[in-house]
This record gives sequence, C-alpha cells and structure tokens, in this order.
Amino acid sequence: MKSLSFRWQLILFILLTCGVTLSLAFVGFYLYDVRQFNNEVQSRLEKTQLLMIENLVPLLEQNPHAKDLQLNLLGVDGQLAAAAVYSTDGKILARYVRAGLTEVIPPLQVTRLLDVSQRGVLWTPISSGRRQLGTLYLKAELSDADRDRLSNLLRGSAIVFLASVLLAVAMAWRFQGRITEPITELARVSGSVQRDRDYNMRVQTSASGEIGELIDSFNAMLDTIQSNTSELERARVAAEDAHEKITQAHDQLEEANRTLEARVDDRTRLLAKAVKDAEEASKAKSSFLAKMSHELRTPLNAIIGYSEIMKEDAEDDGDTRRAEDLDKVLNAARHLLGLINDVLDISKIEAGKMELFLETFDLTKLINEVIATASPLVSKKGNALAVDCPADIGAMHADATKLRQMLLNLLSNASKFTEKGTVTLKAVRIIEEEADYMELSVIDTGIGMTPEQLTRLFQAFSQADASTTSKYGGTGLGLAISKQFAQMMQGDITVTSKPGVGSVFTIRMPAKVLTKQPKVVNNATNKLTRSPFPSQNRPKILVIDDDKEIRTVVAELLSMSGYDVVEAASGQQGLDHAARMVPDLILLDVMMPGIDGWTVLSKLQDNPKLADVPVIVLSAVGDVEMAMSLGAASVLLKPVDASRLTAEIATQLSPLPKCYTLLVEDDADSRTLITRMLEREGWQFRAAINGIAAIRVIKKSVPAMIVLDLKMPGMNGLELLDVLGKNPAWAKIPVVIVTSMDITQEMRDVLTARTLGILRKGQFTREQLADHIRPAVQACALAEA
Amino acid sequence: MPKILLVEDNEMNRDMLSRRLEKRGYTLVIAVDGGQGVALAKSELPDLILMDMSLPVLDGWEATQQVKADPATGGIPIIALTAHAMESDRQKALEAGCNDFDTKPVELARLLTKIEELLKKFPPKA
Repeated sequence: MKSLSFRWQLILFILLTCGVTLSLAFVGFYLYDVRQFNNEVQSRLEKTQLLMIENLVPLLEQNPHAKDLQLNLLGVDGQLAAAAVYSTDGKILARYVRAGLTEVIPPLQVTRLLDVSQRGVLWTPISSGRRQLGTLYLKAELSDADRDRLSNLLRGSAIVFLASVLLAVAMAWRFQGRITEPITELARVSGSVQRDRDYNMRVQTSASGEIGELIDSFNAMLDTIQSNTSELERARVAAEDAHEKITQAHDQLEEANRTLEARVDDRTRLLAKAVKDAEEASKAKSSFLAKMSHELRTPLNAIIGYSEIMKEDAEDDGDTRRAEDLDKVLNAARHLLGLINDVLDISKIEAGKMELFLETFDLTKLINEVIATASPLVSKKGNALAVDCPADIGAMHADATKLRQMLLNLLSNASKFTEKGTVTLKAVRIIEEEADYMELSVIDTGIGMTPEQLTRLFQAFSQADASTTSKYGGTGLGLAISKQFAQMMQGDITVTSKPGVGSVFTIRMPAKVLTKQPKVVNNATNKLTRSPFPSQNRPKILVIDDDKEIRTVVAELLSMSGYDVVEAASGQQGLDHAARMVPDLILLDVMMPGIDGWTVLSKLQDNPKLADVPVIVLSAVGDVEMAMSLGAASVLLKPVDASRLTAEIATQLSPLPKCYTLLVEDDADSRTLITRMLEREGWQFRAAINGIAAIRVIKKSVPAMIVLDLKMPGMNGLELLDVLGKNPAWAKIPVVIVTSMDITQEMRDVLTARTLGILRKGQFTREQLADHIRPAVQACALAEA
Repeated sequence: MPKILLVEDNEMNRDMLSRRLEKRGYTLVIAVDGGQGVALAKSELPDLILMDMSLPVLDGWEATQQVKADPATGGIPIIALTAHAMESDRQKALEAGCNDFDTKPVELARLLTKIEELLKKFPPKA
C-alpha cells in the first residue's frame, strides 16, 4: 500500500467502500426478494391447501376411504411438487408427484400435524365439523416460472451492482483529482524542489480547506527559501566577484612585488657596491691613518730614545746645559707624539669611526685612578690637587676609557694654566625628573679666559689665543676631542671663566649613557620658536629623511610651531616634491640610502628655481664642512633639539629687517659672540655660515653692512668679496673683516682697498667692532628716513 | 744578571734599547726577525723576551705563539712592543700569549718597571 501513489490509494479506498456498500445492498435486496418470493409461494400454497380441502371435504364425507381421489383435479397447481391425502388411520388415500420429480411421500406422523414450520411443506387436517376426515400433505417446489423470475432478479441485481460499481469507479476517477491533484502536485513540487533545489517552482493548483492552507504555507515557505536563496546567491555572486577582484589585486600586488623586488635587487646591488666602495675607501683611510701613525711614531721613537740616551750621558758627564737642551728636544718630540695621537682621535671622530665601549663602573674608583695619574702633573707647578666627590655617588654606565681621557685632559689643561694654586675635581650626581646626570667639574685658580677667548676654546687646532701654544704647550686638540666624546655620550662640556680668577670646566653626562641616540630630541621642556608669520600664512617646509620616526617627530613639531610640513622618505622623493611645490625651506638628512643628502643638496643648488630655498642640513659631526661647501643655509648637528631646530627655521624664514648687518662666519661660537655684540648695540642683523649662504640673503635684501670671516668652507671671504665686486648693486656694501688667519701683505693690500678694516679674532673689543659698523648703519637709517 | 732577548727589526730602536738596557746591567741577546727570535729563544733560553710585533719573516704574534707552544721556552715571560697604540693590538698580543704589553716609543722607566715585575714573577733559574 505504501508504495502505491496517493491517487491509487484513494481510488482503491473509494472502490472498496463502494464495493462493500453495494454488495451489502445487493445481498439485502436479494434476500428481501427471495423472502417475498417465498412468502408468495407460501400464500399460494395456503390458497391451494384451502381449495383442495374444500374439494376434499365433500369427497371424504362421502367416503372416508375413497381410493379414487384424483388429486390433480382437485386444485393442484404448477408449484406443487408433491401432495398426498391420508386417511385418519394413516393410509395414503391419494398421491401426487409432479412429473419429472422423484418425491418420496412421507408416512403420516401425528406429531407433524402441528408442525408447519418446514418451509414449503404443509400438513393440514381435513375435517368436517367435529369429525376428522383425514390429513392433507402438500409440498411446494419452485416452478420453472419461479426459477426464471429468481434468476432474472439475480441477473438484474448483478447488472445494477456492476453498473453502480462502474459508475462509482468513474466518479472516483473523475473526482479524486480534486483531492489528490493538489496533494500529488504538492508532492511532485516538493520532490522536485528536494531533487533539483529549484526554489523557483510553485504549487500551481488551488485547493480549499486544509490542503489549500498547506499549499499556501508550502508556497510561502518556498517564497522565503527562494528569497533567502537568491539573497544567498547574490551574496555568493558578490563574494565571487570580490574573490575575483581580490585575486586580481593579489596578482597585481604580486606583479608589483616582483617589479619592486627586481628594483630593490637592482638598488641593493648598487647600494651594496656603493657600500663596498665606501667600506673600501673607509678601510683605506683607516689603514692609511694607522700606517701614518706608525710611520710617524717610528722615527719619533728613535728621536725620543736617542735624546734620552744622550741626556743620560750628558747628566752622567755633568754637562747640564746639553742635558737641558736635550730636555727641550724631548719635550718637543713628546708634544709631537701627543699631537699624532690627538690627530688620530679627531680623524676617527670625523670619520665616524670612534666607537663607544659602554660599561658599568664605579665612578669613585675611576676618579681615584685619574687623580693618581694626574697628581705629578698638577703638582709640577706647585698646585694642590683637591677631590670633592661623595663616596656614595654610585655607578655610571659610559665609556670609562674616554671619560678617563677627558678628565685627564681637563686636569692637564688646568694645571698648565695654574701656578701655585688649587685644582679641584668635583663630582656631583644630579637626579631630576626623568634625568640622572653626573657632573664632573675641574675647577682651577689659574689665569682664566676672556669671553672672546672662550669662543674658540673647543675648536680643533685652536687655543684661547695663538701665543698660548708656545707658552703653555698642548696640541689644542684635547678639548675638542673631549667635547666630542662628551657629546657622543649624550653629554657636553661647558666652561665658565674669569680672567685672573680661574676657570671651571664641567662635564655633564647622563649616569646611564644610551647606546643609540635619537637624531631629534624633543623634550617637553624645550621651548619652541613659532613661525614668524601669522597663522593663516603657514610657510611650507619639506622634510627629507628616510627615518619615518624622525619625520613624524619633526612634522609634529613643525606643525605645532606654525608650519605646513611635506614629508619625503628618500632623496629622489625629496627632489620631486621640491621641484613640484617649491617649499619655503627644506630640512635635509644627510645619511640616506639611494640618493644621499649630499646629492640632493647639490642638485637643489643646481636648479635655478630651488637654489634660493634655504636648506637646513641635519648632519653628523664630520660632515659640517661638506654641508657648508655644498650650499646649506645652516647645519645642525645631531641630535638636534627641538628648540634649536625651530629657532633656526624661524631665523631662516624671518623677513629681513631694514638696515641690517650681515655676519658671514662659519664658526658657530664666533657667530654667537659677534651677534651678541651686535644685539647689545641694538642693531638688526642676520648671520650666514659662508659666502654661498650670504649671497642667498643678500639677494633678498641688500644689507647695510657685512662683517666677514675669511676662512670658510664652500665660499670663503675673499671669494665672496669677488662676487660682490662684480655686482654694481653690491660692490658698495661696506665690509669689515674679522679673522684669525695670518694675512700676507698681498692679501692685506687687496683687503685694505675693499674693506673698512681687519679685526683679529679674540683681540678686538665690542667698541672696536661697533665703531666700524655704526657709520654704515646710521647712513642707511638716514637714507631710509 | 738576567738575560733579555730583544726581537726588533728596526736597527735604531734595537741599538737604543739594547744600549740602555745594557747600561742598567742586563745581558742582551739580539734577534732581527721573528724566525731568529724563536731560534734564539730556544738556544739561549733568555730570562725575558722583548718582542716587537711587526717583524719580517715571522711576525711578533706568530713568534710569540711558537715560543709559548714549545715546552722548553714556554715559561719565558714576553713583553710585546708595538707602535700601534690600538686596543685591538694589545688584545691580539695578549691572546698570542704575551705576558705584558708596552707601546713605542718606549718610555724607559715604565718598561723597566714592567721588566722587573715580570722577572720577579718568573724568577731566572740561578
């Protein structure tokens, strides 16, 4: 049954129902008919009985034993199968059997006289009044006509039955569709949905009642599924699209990567070659220096050795004069040896070869060692050596060898310039917020220095004044080296001095020196100098540095200070940006891979559109001269602090005042000294680091006066004078020379003709300088008025 | 008197140093290159060796290693002498087996202190 379709199941049910119903009806009708028929037969039999008894009574009254009774004449009809008449004593008086039948006439049974229940059989007493005459036996049998009638009845019923069944089947066939069709359709659709996952199909037939509701729900469900599915499909298509795009992008990226890799490979090869070249050059320089120092030391070795032998011999011979002479030779030779060592140090610093060997050490112990070494030196001129160091000053993390050298240098200097006085080494640890410093001061009661002498103090190959070397000895490199060492260790050396009272040299260094120092320091305490322009007119600054961190710090700093910043991550990008935007100022890092800062600087200078844009170079110690030569407007040494950087930028960008004095001087300390003098006179001024930078300033506005140094990298004073002379508008600018150079007669002649005078560095007073400048400034002010 | 082997290729330095040491009573044996230095160390068995580092034939570091490797001469103290006032040279000399180190030009007082200290540490066998 289960395998049958619903349609056939339904048809079978209908057929079964019809069949059973009709069969029951048929059987009922048939039995009823048969019963009617039998009743009819019975009543006919009773009629026959009555007729026969009526006929028999007279006969039997006549003769109770009459043997000649003709029963077939006494009312026997066609349905009677057998008949008999019994006498009262049981003798059969007459008998009848229908022709063709074999009927046994039963003997008279008294009991039977009352029993008439046997179908079709009648036992009837024949009586007249009270007198028993006999008994009549009748047995009915279906006649042919009856049989025909019964079989007709059966046939008719069968026909009706069959017709009804057929009709029922036809109707079931015809009308089952109304019920099964929606269900089979539902089954078909759901089957096909299940099979094909085609959610576009709908059950099309309409039906009422629960099936209708079922179909409606099913269709609604399909709607939901279809909309979900189509959404899903759309999402899938979108996802596929996205996937395809991602794949494309990925391909492009890979392609770009390959290109980039190829380019990077190229660059890397070039860079590797450049690095190799540079390394070879650097190696060559290092080995040259090592060889030179060896070559210089070997003959010195002999000079010192033989002088000592001769001095010993002379002393043995008692020839004191010769011994003294030889002592001078020895001193000179030892001085030369010190000079060679210092030159070696300076060369290393400038080549960036000087390395720090940081270690943690006990400062008290180091100070004791230094004192032990220095005390013979200090006591030579009758000086007392004092130490002022708290015992619990603690440990320090720095380059101990270099710190020792610095302290010895300061102590040696102090003892040179002090006689019968006191040299004190004082150590203090200063712990501030987020800072832990060591301050090591060497205090003497010696001859001291004037402010002018102080300016040249830390420069290589220079001492407070030219005559110092001959009088006091020393190479003039020691302080410069010590200062560089201090700066390498994130510290500095400062000096205060008073002529005739003494000097204090102070080494200030972090107690814990860090290995890597940042290029730009932005302390919260740093004061930023704001842009000299109103806020709606922000100057554009191009920052070229490969170090993203630095760029970010600088950009933030400058935008806080009122500038618009454009960043370039490489030399090439810097050049591109510069050409496109023409910035008001460029901040340039020197050490960059690819096109380095030097190349960028010279290319900027070669471009007439950009040559006048001031470039501030952020440089390492050894590169200052190079930067100046290539035309930098200013050079700031790393690490650059924020206040200095912003101050320098503001200075470079400020509009030039009227009747200003232009100071052209490469040395920062001299610049500071002279600008202070000008400031005190209340004059407007501007400083330039060399001839190239000076011309850039003069182009913007002609100064009232020029204070000019002679020895400068890039374009020196004489060259600048030459350039000025060729421009009629500039040829008449008054110039005063400030120099430490030895000037030949020939030079003096040239300078005297062109300038107001020559002042020797460290030897002129503020008044002398002012006297030279004042007339020019006043004349300018008059002309302006 | 203690016997000192001076290995030095530079004639002037050799002459100077030997004269000054002899004047202070030391017996001097002279070698002009590293090879000769190693040979003389073995035959003369000096009480101390002053070894220049940049030498022909066999350099001072190599010669020092050979002297120190030989059981017969391994106990002789060696002072390295070099014009290279470089930390790395000092380190290299000590690694080669030198007992002490001094830079040229020689400061005689300082060198004499070092010699005396080493002779005290490694006393001559009668």
